[in-house]
Amino acid sequence: MNSLIESALLTTVIATTIRGTTPILLAALGDTYVERSGILNLGIEGMMVGGAFASFVVALKLNNLVCGFLAAGAVGLALGFLFAVLTITLRVNQIVVGLGLTIFAHSMSSFLHRVIFGNQFPILFDAGGTNAIPLLSGIPLVGQAVFNQHWLVYVAFLLVPAFYILMYKTRFGLRIRAVGESPWAADSSGVDVNRIRYVAILMGGLMASLAGAFLALGDLAFFVPDMIMGRGYIAIVVVMMGKWNPAKVCLGALLFGFAMALTSALQVAGINLSPDFILMMPYLVVIIALILFVRSTDLPSSLCIPYNRGED
Amino acid sequence: MTAQSLVKLTGITKRFRGVVANSNVDFDLYPGEIHSILGENGAGKTTLMKILSGVHQPDAGTIRVHDQPVRIRSPRDSLKLGIGMVYQHFTLVPNLSVIENLTLGFEDGFFLNLKKARIKLRRISEAYGLFIDPDREIRSLSIRDRQRTEILKVLFRDSDVLVLDEPTSMLSAAEAESLFQTLRALRQAGKAVVLITHNLNEALAASDRVTIMRSGEKAAELSNEALAGLDKKAASEKILTYMFGSIPVSGAGVAAEDVSGDQPVVELKRVEARDSRGRLGLKHISFGIGKGEILGIAAIDGEERRLLAETIAGQQRIASGQLIYRQQDITRKTVAERFNLGISYITDDRINEGCVLDMDLAENTILKSYGQPPFSRWGILNRLKINSFAAGLIKNFEIRAAGPDARVRSLSGGNIQKFILARGLSDSPGLIVCNSPTYGLDAKTVAFIRELLINQSRRGTAVLLLTSDIDELFSVSSHIGILFNGEIVGLMRRTQATTEKIAKLMLGICES
Amino acid sequence: MTDLTSVAKADLKPAILSIFSICCSLIAGGIILLVIGKNPVVYFGLLLARGLGSSLGVTESIIKMAPLLIISAGLLPCFSAGLWNIGAEGQFLVGAMLAGWAAPLLAARLPCPLYLAAVALLGIAGGMAWILLPAMLKARYDINEIITTLMMSWVAISLVTWLVKGPINDLSTVPAQTTLIPLKYRMPMIPCTRIHIGLIIGLAGLIGMHWLIRRTTVGYQFRVMAANKNAARHAGMNIARLTVYSLLISGGLAGLAGVSDVLAIKGLFQGNWNPQYAMAAIPLVFLARLNGWAVIPLAFFFSVLGVGGEFVARELGVPVFFVHVLEGLTLLFFAVSEYFEKKWEHQ
Repeated sequence: MNSLIESALLTTVIATTIRGTTPILLAALGDTYVERSGILNLGIEGMMVGGAFASFVVALKLNNLVCGFLAAGAVGLALGFLFAVLTITLRVNQIVVGLGLTIFAHSMSSFLHRVIFGNQFPILFDAGGTNAIPLLSGIPLVGQAVFNQHWLVYVAFLLVPAFYILMYKTRFGLRIRAVGESPWAADSSGVDVNRIRYVAILMGGLMASLAGAFLALGDLAFFVPDMIMGRGYIAIVVVMMGKWNPAKVCLGALLFGFAMALTSALQVAGINLSPDFILMMPYLVVIIALILFVRSTDLPSSLCIPYNRGED
Repeated sequence: MTAQSLVKLTGITKRFRGVVANSNVDFDLYPGEIHSILGENGAGKTTLMKILSGVHQPDAGTIRVHDQPVRIRSPRDSLKLGIGMVYQHFTLVPNLSVIENLTLGFEDGFFLNLKKARIKLRRISEAYGLFIDPDREIRSLSIRDRQRTEILKVLFRDSDVLVLDEPTSMLSAAEAESLFQTLRALRQAGKAVVLITHNLNEALAASDRVTIMRSGEKAAELSNEALAGLDKKAASEKILTYMFGSIPVSGAGVAAEDVSGDQPVVELKRVEARDSRGRLGLKHISFGIGKGEILGIAAIDGEERRLLAETIAGQQRIASGQLIYRQQDITRKTVAERFNLGISYITDDRINEGCVLDMDLAENTILKSYGQPPFSRWGILNRLKINSFAAGLIKNFEIRAAGPDARVRSLSGGNIQKFILARGLSDSPGLIVCNSPTYGLDAKTVAFIRELLINQSRRGTAVLLLTSDIDELFSVSSHIGILFNGEIVGLMRRTQATTEKIAKLMLGICES
Repeated sequence: MTDLTSVAKADLKPAILSIFSICCSLIAGGIILLVIGKNPVVYFGLLLARGLGSSLGVTESIIKMAPLLIISAGLLPCFSAGLWNIGAEGQFLVGAMLAGWAAPLLAARLPCPLYLAAVALLGIAGGMAWILLPAMLKARYDINEIITTLMMSWVAISLVTWLVKGPINDLSTVPAQTTLIPLKYRMPMIPCTRIHIGLIIGLAGLIGMHWLIRRTTVGYQFRVMAANKNAARHAGMNIARLTVYSLLISGGLAGLAGVSDVLAIKGLFQGNWNPQYAMAAIPLVFLARLNGWAVIPLAFFFSVLGVGGEFVARELGVPVFFVHVLEGLTLLFFAVSEYFEKKWEHQ
């Protein structure tokens, strides 16, 4: 009897971890490119909220999940574009813009939710479904946990090798790596620094909004104002920890996914800790991770500094 | 030469914040030659070449490449025209490998195809004898290998013109020689090479033509033929005259009397310090300055001057040795402590370090002295005193500014320097350390500042003047020292010095 | 004569830009209202009428201003030093929780002024303790303080909720909360008004911080640090120490704001409560160009928006969140106005 419970526990833990990792992973993969190009995107949290809300509303109103995801993507690109225009073309302080964007997107989402739904918090009943992969989900213990997830989960993990290849084996990836470390070197080699950064930010916005959409449509199936709960910022730390290597970023995201999954895991295990207490864990883990793994000398030299040719 | 010129710059003028970096400069380049641009720091050599490579845009003048007029608006334009610059501060991306750096910007297709690049690299390596491991990361390479990669990068772009900015400043003699061999091979292949340098020997040994720049202008152009007739000594002298001008007027400067048989105000005893790369930038530096003396130390390397200045002022740690000020060992004292003891440091980096551009003059006045009465008491600033003091500075030092509440940003470069000097001179310091105090300023301001320094010394202040301007050295100092390669290679009274002697020591030419 | 006008011009330009940002955000907000089918003129009219039009409204707005003033006062020194304390929320909650816990215990045992001082000090200490780790990490390792303070903020949110549901819970009441502080032990009022002295503390704090930044050597060093780190290093300023000081002050004041809110308005501390003053304070402080005096009218304005917004929410069905939307918009427009300011500078 005991072993049955243990295996059920293990399966739950793995499943919840993977589900919890996905939004962080999606956002972090996109942010990998943003940070690598030398930009600190504090608006990532806002882009996630925006994506979550847009996808939820559209999916509910149009009764179509795919449209929901598309809407999220559109919002992510729009917010990303706004961020890019302000920080790259107008060269405004990235921190101010990022915070402003997050506050705006966050409050706008809550506001519109209230306007559209009043005091209700409708649930999207189609959402949150899983797609089991035929043979693999039959594997004992891990099969159900790993291979019976929402399709976006599979996409997210498949994107890891794709983003890895993009970063290290393509022209675009090479240029991003150059731009973040020495924009002047890239410029003198004829690379359009600003254009690369624009693309990176758009990517970041798209991925962040998809992460939010996953939370809304794939995980929770509803929208509440505080649903993102700092995952955007955790993604930023994960990227720093992983040193902008998509593979390492994935590992970092898994770490936090696990920390976030602890709530249910511990409950299933019958350990009687207050959920509030457990909720603190991911954030503490972030701080510890920052201390252990990130030194400021590791960050791209041009982080947060707008590029201005002729000014060294 | 009857061949068509590759590059022709005519009447180039460029100004930066009140400083004229280039003034009506002409320069041309033919295929198959090595053309050196010689001049001291601030002569305008690098600016001219940065204009050619698209980093700066000229305020006036024209550029012709292959006899076609062109506008070079960006480094990419310049590369497309076949002009490749090898910078002093390298433009390689440290975290990428050699081969990745070579392909950057001109990659072949969406997916990185390094195979083609490797083949090309091999071909070029064999043609010019420049071999390197393509997969090593730049940050793991030695200086020589980085430079080699930079050159390869330029050749990779099929450039016809290679511009090298102070290429031997960080190489050993043997490495420099192998570099020149490479350059000769390039010349043989029909490329044009521009060598920016302050090293007279090299310019003479390596080039076919030498253009000499001084204070933003072209002072002279000497070709192989012109130099061929003269022996080495005569050639050096001729060039030196163009580079530095003749010995200055009058015996201005403090008469080097033995002012006191007393202890020196400041003394360095075998001081050593590390530079930004962690290597020993200063090696067993020993000298002393007495009351009322002005020791002018000539050093052509800006980083060395800065390192020495900061070692004395406190921003740089002393690795070994002792620094004695007024018989007190201050080796371990902080910047603020040294300032409070009476050491005043006037930096050469006026805008980035010496002041806060966005604050007003009054607030800049107290940048170092904010903790001292009468400017503050118990931690509270006394606005009135600060303002009136600033107003006094403006008046006494003839600074052209709207008032103490004018933002420093609104002042011209020369006035900013005057202000910084005024701030440093007030309060009767015991020792003033100034680095290139008159660099880039107009003649009137230069004279004014030199006068200030001399007057200050007459009041008993010891002055350490770090400069590369021989004029300045002679018109102000009572004693002269030369810093080369981190060591003091000469120390003498002004009366014992000649321009030629100093220039040679500065450029590392040993007296035979 | 020239001096006066140029000084006036220097201060006027940024003020105009800030007012411009607010106007833009109001207009943008109005457009949003139109899109959702509400009449912006009616909305803003009602809002102002409620917030400003009656003495009740004005009083409420002023009362609500207090914690905003105190937190803004805390943001001033660290923003002036170029350091971003984005986790003021967490420091606020820690201070509030400590007040909620300690006040009932100390109220009866100490004479009133001592009791108030003790609770206040406890809140300040709590806020400082909460920002200490990020401060040291920044000073020693240059670890980004935005992220560390934010993370600490989220930890705080969970931590205080857990504590309120557990050790410090007043079990005599059903919802999880600390013991209700009897009215006589609440923060005293300004005589003849319903406004508690938290307002005075806020005003004093703001003016005090403004004075600290403009008139003391410490404030001067903060400003040099923010404007030009190279110059600060050149002048021999101890940047690590200054970093810690400015952040500690910030945390302490945020904690004090928490104390003020509990002692004056709520009378207790409950879980899952987060009034999000920091979200309002950050744009506020930017708009005020880090000028303590300018914060006061701006805080009042935001307060009016909040009070009026609550009322209008019931009347017109426009959710209260709209006020936060305006705050976000103001920050964005402020960012844009920075661009124009820089452009004018270089001419």
